[in-house]
Order: sequence, then structure tokens, then C-alpha cells
Amino acid sequence: MRKLSTSMCAASLLALIATTPAIAITAEETVAEGKAVYMGKSRGNCISCHQINDPDANLAGNQGPPMVAMTQRFPDKRMLRAQVWDASKNNPITIMPPLGKHWILSEEEIDAVVEYIYQF
Amino acid sequence: MKKLIAIIATVVLLPAAAIAETFDEAFEMNRAMYGKGYTFTWSGQQYSTDHQEEVEARVDATKANAESLIAKAKAHNAEVAKVGFEWKLTKGLLKDAEAAIESGDYRKALNLAAQAKYHARIGLQQHAYAEKNWHLSVPQ
Amino acid sequence: MKIIKNITIGLSLLLSSQLVFSAQPGTTLASVNPEADRMALQNYFKKRFPDAELADYVNGIYAVDADSREQWEELESFPPYEFDVEEGERLFKTAFANGKGYADCFENGGVGIRQNFPYWDKEASTVKTLEQEINECRESNGEKPLKWGKGAIAQISAYMAWTSRDNVFDIKIPEGDEGALAAYLEGKKFFYTKRGQLNLSCANCHLQGSNVRIRADLAGPALGHPSHFPVFRSKWGSLGTLHRRYKGCHKDSRSKPLDMQHETFRNLEYFQTYMSNGLVVNGPGSRK
Repeated sequence: MRKLSTSMCAASLLALIATTPAIAITAEETVAEGKAVYMGKSRGNCISCHQINDPDANLAGNQGPPMVAMTQRFPDKRMLRAQVWDASKNNPITIMPPLGKHWILSEEEIDAVVEYIYQF
Repeated sequence: MKKLIAIIATVVLLPAAAIAETFDEAFEMNRAMYGKGYTFTWSGQQYSTDHQEEVEARVDATKANAESLIAKAKAHNAEVAKVGFEWKLTKGLLKDAEAAIESGDYRKALNLAAQAKYHARIGLQQHAYAEKNWHLSVPQ
Repeated sequence: MKIIKNITIGLSLLLSSQLVFSAQPGTTLASVNPEADRMALQNYFKKRFPDAELADYVNGIYAVDADSREQWEELESFPPYEFDVEEGERLFKTAFANGKGYADCFENGGVGIRQNFPYWDKEASTVKTLEQEINECRESNGEKPLKWGKGAIAQISAYMAWTSRDNVFDIKIPEGDEGALAAYLEGKKFFYTKRGQLNLSCANCHLQGSNVRIRADLAGPALGHPSHFPVFRSKWGSLGTLHRRYKGCHKDSRSKPLDMQHETFRNLEYFQTYMSNGLVVNGPGSRK
């Protein structure tokens, strides 16, 4: 089913292009978007469980580990992305929602929030 | 000495066999690490990390195609509702998809229907997993 | 190096699989043991919060968090549910159109009986809750049923709890009654099952996550949960029933929530209240 189809028709290619943003987003914009995802109650709401050393993070919860030493804890940024995408893979009873697997956030939002927390 | 090697071999080989990835595991790991639109290799073949629903939504943006995907999503959602695992936002996505058809935005309708169908499909997976694993957090 | 890694993985796999096999989570009718479950839950919290007194769990989070306890005790000095108890008493004692009243429907005139609910109704082959019997009483006397979540039903339930304060919960699972045991098991399964788009179980917040911050909120421990319902919740600004809370929690997991008094919720209440056997009724309560 998911096997790459070589007979991808022209129409679907056009559709792909149409849904891709025309202007590239800068790194700064990505981090700002990631922060909005981190703080937003109806978005990632990461702040409800993870403390982060950002002056705008008020009353963060502590159900999960704080966002510190991210580069040491996740030398491979892709592994951090995978953890955000589905934390239940490593711990089946975790309280952390599978943000990617359950399509709570879009893949773009996950990329952005990973960029944001990877600074800490 | 031979015996020792044999023991080591069993210890080493057994877990290696146990951690061989199924297609679903490989798909999930690659999607988790790279997002959508990424190509990975499994068992010597190339695959995309796109969800089957994302592929289904990539058809011509016509009314008929949108209606057909909405119908599929509804059928999946009825199935997951039957086992008590319907998600909160699915019906709203379907409603929005229908509204998008009304306003002639068939591309939007397709994308929303795809997400609704994905929610329902993963809800069913969640139910199947829970049937076998719900005891994991029961204190002993 | 790879060999060492593999051996480590192998060993941890062996260890974890042994853990799974030696455990007895009681997931089937043949293996489930409600008394063992109750002791295990108590022991879990004893280990988690060694300083908390078992009897104090009827006070929810305030049993384990000193700071919020102080605020709560202040709140309780002028209980926000006082009016509701008075109103509940008035409603309870107001006769129906046919001259009969709630007192005629319940054992002991409806006074001091909260600790026996919910119970397994063998004839109806289902779990019966106090609120359900309040409405059944109305309907059998030609009155319209009340809405489940708040208002009059919560007030009447609050008054009945008030007359039962300090009575010890004594929920029974009749021996040899497979239906009752199955209802208990269903409730237990619901409590521990992860569900909804957020993939949350009741246990995620109220067992593992109890007394840990979700933003500025502390999730209360599951032990003693039903003892203080109905509850005047500051967030609601009103009194509400246990099933109002169930529905809200269920929705918070981003599930399409069940209706109040649905069989599944009644089974959950059966399980949860059985877990609180030995603790006292202290409803109605006030919570943040």
C-alpha cells in the first residue's frame, strides 16, 4: 500500500507542489513557531509537563523531564524527533501523548518544536 | 570452550532475531525520525513514509473523490466507535470536510477526510494494543 | 562492542520478559482478585507517599500536598457546598405529587446509606449507582427524571452523602456471582486502559501522575477518589456528580466521551469505590 508508486500522475505532482509553501521559512521563524507550539494549550502544550529555561514559560508542570542538556541527551536530533513523535515506543505506559503518531501536531509543527527545544 | 561459544552465540543471536524490524516498525521509526515524504529501505525495497491516507488524498481534487474518501473515513470511524475508542475530533474533521465540499474546496475536503480516516484507523490500532497490554500499569 | 550491546539488549529483554511473566495483574475472570487489587493499590500509595495516612486519602490531593491543603482548609471553613446540602435536604423531604417521597424508596429512609453505593443488582444484572436510584425513585412515583450531572440530582446526592459522613465504604462483590466480578473487571480495565487521541488512561494521571504538576495543577491520587463526591469544584463553580467528572476526564483524553451513567462508567465507579473500601464517606467535598 505504502510502496512507492512509480506511476504517480501529473495531477498529484501538481497537488504536491501546490501544498508546499512557496517561500522558504527561516531558521528563526521555525524556532518561533516551535515556541508557539510548545506553549500553546491547543497545540503541543508541552509546557504543561516540561520545564524549560525560557522567560516566557510560566508555571510549567513537571510530569516529564525538564528541557535541559538536549544536545547531550539526544546527540542525534532525529532521535529527539522520534521521542516527540511517539514517546510510548520507549515507555508504553508514559503519560506523554504520541504527538506525531496520533496526528496531534502536524509533521511541520513537530520539526519546529524540535528546533525550539534543541536550543536548551 | 565450544560450549561457551555456543552459549554466547545463543545469547547474541536470539535478541538479534527478536529485534528484527517488521515493516510497520520500520515505517513508524522512519516516519518518527524524518516526517513525511521520506524514502527508506526495508528488506531491500524502497518505501515512502507517507501514511496510506496521505496517499489516498493525493488524487484529483474532485467532488466525487472527496466524497468517496469521506465515506471511507466514516466507515472506519463507525468501526472504532463500535469498540468504544472513537476520538474526540474525528466527527468535527468530517463535518469540516463536508463543509469544504459545499464551498467547492475539494483539496481541503480530501485532506481533512484523510486525517479523519487516519484518526479512526489509529484508534482501532490503539484498541487492539490495549486489549493485550492494558495491565502494564496495574500495580502489583 | 556490538556484541556487548547485543548481550545487554538480550539481558534486558530476558529481565523484562521475566517481570511480565511473574506479575499477576488479574486481567481475566479466572485470575482477578479484587481484595488483592485493593491491597496492591494501597501499597502503591504507601510506597509513593510514605508520610500520608491511609485514612486521609478521602481528602484527595490534600492528603499528600501540604501547600494546597492549607488553601483547601481555608476554603472548607466556609464550605462552598453548604447551600447545596441544605437545598438537597429540602428537595429530599419534599413529597412527590402522589404524596410519597425519596425516603420511601431507600433503605433506612435514605439516611446514612451512601457507603453501600454503587452495588451489584443481581436481578437487573447491572451496577446501580445512588444517582440512578434517585431517578428510578422519581420515575416509579410518576415524576420526571433529573439531569445526571449537576443541579438537583447532585444536591440530593450531596444531602444523602452528608447524612452518611464517617460511615465506612463497604462495596460488595457477591461471591460466586460472575456478573458482578465481570463488572468489576470491566471497571478496572477501563481505569488502566490508554485511550483517546492523547492516549491517556485514568492511571496515567491518578496513579503514576498523582501529586505531579500538570501546569499548575496536581492530579489527585485514585485511592479515595469517590469518597467525597458529589463535589463543589471551583473550576465548575458548582456542585457536580462523579459521572460529570468522569465525562470531563474522558473528554480530556480526547475521546468522544460516554454519557453519564453509561454502563461502562458505572462499572468504573464500582471498581473505584471498591478500591476505597475501608475509607469513610466524606462527601460532599470541595476541590479546586
